[in-house]
Order: sequence, then structure tokens, then C-alpha cells
Amino acid sequence: MLSAYNITKNYQTNGRVVPVLKEVSVNISEGEFVSIVGRSGSGKTTLLNVLSTLVRPDSGELKYRDDNLALFPEKRLNRLRQSDFAVIFQFHHLLPYLSVLENTLLPFMSSLRPVSKQRVQQARAGLERVGLADKADRLPGNLSGGEQQRVAIARALVKSSRVLFADEPTGSLDKETGKQIMGLLMELHQEGLTVVMVTHEPGYASLAERTIAIEDGTIVH
Amino acid sequence: MNLFTIPLRNIRRRPSKTLLLLLVFSLGVMSIVALYQVSLVVGYSLEKKLTTFGANIVISPATEKLSVSYGGFHLGDMVFDVQELPEGKTSQAIRSIKLQDRIAAVAPKLVSMTKIGDTSIALVGVHWPEERGIKSYWAAANGRFPEKPDEILVGSQAASKLGMQVGDVVSIYGKNFSVSGILFKTGSDDDSVILVELGVLQTLLNRPDATSFIEVAALCAGCPIEDIVDQISMKLPNTEVKALQNVINQRMASVHFVQKLALSVSLVILVTAAAMIGLSMLSAVNERKKDIGILRSLGYGKSQVFMIFCLEAGFIGALAGFIGYVGGFGASFKALEYLALSEGAVPVFAVAHLLLASAVFALITIVAAVYPAWKGASVDPTTALVAL
Ligand SMILES: Nc1ncnc2c1ncn2[C@@H]1O[C@H](COP(=O)(O)OP(=O)(O)O)[C@@H](O)[C@H]1O
Ligand SMILES: [Mg+2]
Repeated sequence: MLSAYNITKNYQTNGRVVPVLKEVSVNISEGEFVSIVGRSGSGKTTLLNVLSTLVRPDSGELKYRDDNLALFPEKRLNRLRQSDFAVIFQFHHLLPYLSVLENTLLPFMSSLRPVSKQRVQQARAGLERVGLADKADRLPGNLSGGEQQRVAIARALVKSSRVLFADEPTGSLDKETGKQIMGLLMELHQEGLTVVMVTHEPGYASLAERTIAIEDGTIVH
Repeated sequence: MNLFTIPLRNIRRRPSKTLLLLLVFSLGVMSIVALYQVSLVVGYSLEKKLTTFGANIVISPATEKLSVSYGGFHLGDMVFDVQELPEGKTSQAIRSIKLQDRIAAVAPKLVSMTKIGDTSIALVGVHWPEERGIKSYWAAANGRFPEKPDEILVGSQAASKLGMQVGDVVSIYGKNFSVSGILFKTGSDDDSVILVELGVLQTLLNRPDATSFIEVAALCAGCPIEDIVDQISMKLPNTEVKALQNVINQRMASVHFVQKLALSVSLVILVTAAAMIGLSMLSAVNERKKDIGILRSLGYGKSQVFMIFCLEAGFIGALAGFIGYVGGFGASFKALEYLALSEGAVPVFAVAHLLLASAVFALITIVAAVYPAWKGASVDPTTALVAL
């Protein structure tokens, strides 16, 4: 469903070219739950961002279904991120000045056309699903880290995304909250969502059907 | 909920910052509006004052052969019997053009050649109030201006040629007139003529309602003199309507000077206010890199991020334009009161202008926000999110 071949990505730091991804190839099937593990600085986030099209690789091929994303213009990538892909980060998911409900509907607020009633219904249902129905009108500042994370998941639900990219979604949460989030992700995966998750924690990585280990920009297994 | 919700909520999040920005920009708009209104009124009253220094439009019968000159155009002594303008009809026609409120004075004249002793002299019939209205520089060197129908005013050159003195009695067309005053040297054709009340001359010549030409003082601020000339020409088909361009140009130069001054000060204020908005937006872009990263990860394109910043700036601009216009309007009254200019012309409040001001200032703030918005749109979503 989503496959990357020979992806390389270099970053310039202090005038030096630092290779971050060295000819990385990944193949993710529809409905799969894949975890990406590796030490800090090994290139996990960069790989995830390349897969979610937030970062353009320097070379290599990226295929989603039958489309070659490397050939996609910016506009089509935006549309893909708006519809099929959802990303959750470790922090910073929510705009602090929008309510929880508005944050959930953010993907649909990108034009001057008002968000439809039906979408609002979906958003409320999504919040209900992650257990935040009663906090829909709060500002994110009043939510705990786990609750903010759940808003981001509700947002992915409303978009009815096909692939969820999660970059250490439990990284900033306490154990109990982390477990809840993982439970939620597992549930969604069981309902057919493709999940690609970067994680530090071996316990969570093992919940995935498959684990990709990365070291210094190369996949080791 | 739509794209506009995002900047709107962000504005609401920082009420003090937004208020400060709004205050500064509103004050800028206010001073510009007040300056503009005051300059319009000052320009208008200045021009009105200038019209007392002579006419700027001359209306004469369409004649071809003329020999005697007065007032910068020509009359033939043999021809003027036939070539004349009916006073009542013509004056009324001038007063009834579409731009009638721009007509400050209408001064009809009848010119006739006569002989006093052996000397040929031009006799000019005028309406004293109108004539003195457009010739505020007139002053009687000796005596005073005529007050009775049988009194005449004599030009300085004519007086010395004829050896006339104040109090002399002269017979003209068989009627006795007394010289009530001698004009100061004006440097114009008025120096060599005798001026008499128009009605009296018309009766003497047995040409009731006849005029040789009519001088008009028109206000040209806000509309081109050509329009006034055209409108008069339409009403008076068999006449020649001539604008005295040099008079008009000089006059408008003074009026425009006032307005240009106001404009340049306004521009400085505007650029300063716009720069403030731009700078504030630029710092907002840096503060909001994370927001941009989130939006981009949700599929917002660069153009949409760009739009968010432009909408935010435009909203502040429109609001400031609205507040500033209303405030500036009020301030212009105070300023005019202070300048003792409130009589004459009054600033006119128009809803259309208010909306236009809002739109224009929204546009200006948007332009000021273009660079910051572009910077925001170009933020790399991943670095924005990595930066903690
Ligand atoms: N935008 C960037 N500019 C420069 N260097 C970067 C950038 N993003 C990541 N890197 C570098 O690339 C390497 C891998 O980073 P990352 O993919 O975030 O690793 P991980 O997520 O595994 O910790 C690190 O050395 C990091 O400093
Ligand atoms: Mg990382």
C-alpha cells in the first residue's frame, strides 16, 4: 500500500552534509501495524516524515497505492495529507486558541466554505469515541497531555484517514495514559486502520505486527 | 467554522496585543481621515476666497468680427447691437446647470461706447454686488462705490484722461450722473472705463435685458472646469463659453498645495502604521511556527497558511479602517471648529466612504502582511514541529 525504495535524505548542519537516511526501503501493507524503533538520532522521525510526505527525500521512490508520490506536485500531497494520511506527534498537535471541537475539525477548515453540520456531528462522535465528548468546547490548554493526544486521534478518525503516522505518541505521557493511547491505537488498527508508529518503548513496539529497526539511517531488520 | 475562524480565534487569544495594534492603526487611519476632510474643507474655503479675485469663466455671444477689447475678449462697436446675451435667461441658465452648486458668482455686463466731450470712452454696465463679489481687490482711490442708480465709478486712467473728480456731474446719453468714486489702479481693463449700474445703462440704451458678456466664478475643486464649461455650453447653444485656464491653474495650484500637503503627511502615517502591522505579523510568524507545522501536517497548503496571515491582518485593517474613519470624521469637526472653518463647507459622512475606507485599509494591511505571510507559508513543517 505504501512503499519506499532506496530513500536517502541528507541534512546540512554547519555547512556539513549529514546523511540521515541511507537508501532505506520500507513496504507497508494495507491494515498493517508497523512500529519503527531505534536509538535517538537514528533517523526514525525523518523516515516517518518522508513516509507521511512531510519531508521530501533527496532521492528514492515513494509509492502510495498506484501513485508515485515523488512525482506529485505540492498541491496533491497536501490533499493526500488532508484525506488519507493522519499524523500524530509527541507534542504540538493542537492550536492552542481553537477549542477541542475546532481542533478536531481543523482539516476541514482550510477554505472559506463553512464546515458542514455533518462534519461537526462526525467530530463530536470522534470525540465521544476517545472519551472527550464533554470537553469539546474547552481550549487545549485545559487538557492533559493524554487528552490532547486523544484529540489528535479523534481528528484522524473524523478525516477517516487510511494511514496513521504516530511519532512517539506515548513519549510524553505517564505509563497509565500511554497505555490508554496504545489501547486506542490498537482498537483503530483492529478496525482496519494502517498504523505506522515510531516508539522508544519495546513493550509498545512489540504490540505491532512488525517492527522495523533503524540504526544510523539504515534499516537493520 | 472556516478558514477565517483560525485568525479570528488567534486575534481573540491576545486581546491586549490586538487592541494595541488596533489602537495604533485606528489612530493612523483617524488622522488620515481627519486630515483629508480638513484639507477638503480648507481647500474649498480657500478656493471660495480666491473666487473673489476674479472670474474664471467668460460667456459671450458667438461673434466673429470684433474690434474693441474689454475683459480679455473683443467687441465690435458696430456689431454689439446684434450680438448680445439676454441677461435673465442666460443667468438663469448658468444657475441651473447640474453643477450649479459650483457656481460662486455670475456677473453680467453690458459694454457700450460713448463720447464725453471729444473723448471716446467705454461705458460698462455692471451689477454692483456681483461685480464687487468677484473683484474684491477693487478699492475706491477717491470717494466711494456707487450706491444710487445715478452714480458712476470711473477707472483711474479714464478719470485722468477726462479730468474727472469725485462729485463731478457728467451727462451720458442725455442723463446726468455724478462720479461717486475713482477706482484705484487695477492694472486691468477696468482702469480705462466708466462703470455704471447695469439696469440704468440698459434703460438708457433702450436695450432692456441686454448684456455683452457674462463673467462666472466657478469653484473647480472636486470637478474639472471643463465639465462646468460643457454644461453651460449645453444650456446656451449660441454662445462662446471660455475657461480662463491660467486663472484656474493658479487657483487650483493653491488648493492642491493644501491637499498635497495633507496627502504626504497621510502617506507617512500610513507607511508607519503599515510597517507596524507588518512587523507585528513577522514576529507572530516566528511565534506560530508550530501552528504552521500542525496545519501543514493536516494538509494545509502554503497558500492557505498565507491566507490565514492575510485574513488576520486584513481583519485588523478593516476594523481599524472602520473605527478610524468614524473617529477621524468626528475629529475633523473638532479640527475645523478649532481652525474656525466650520462655516462654509462641512465634511459629509457617507456610508459608502466608510465601507470603502474599511476595504482600503484592509487591503493596505494585507499588503503589509504579504511578506510575513509569505515567510509563514514557507516555514518547513518538520523543523517547525521539531523545534520545542
Ligand atoms: N531539519 C533538520 N535539519 C538538520 N538536521 C536534522 C533535521 N532533522 C533531523 N536532523 C538530524 O537528523 C538526525 C536524525 O534525526 P531524527 O530523524 O529526528 O532522529 P530520531 O527521530 O530517530 O531521533 C539527527 O542527527 C538530527 O539531528
Ligand atoms: Mg524523533
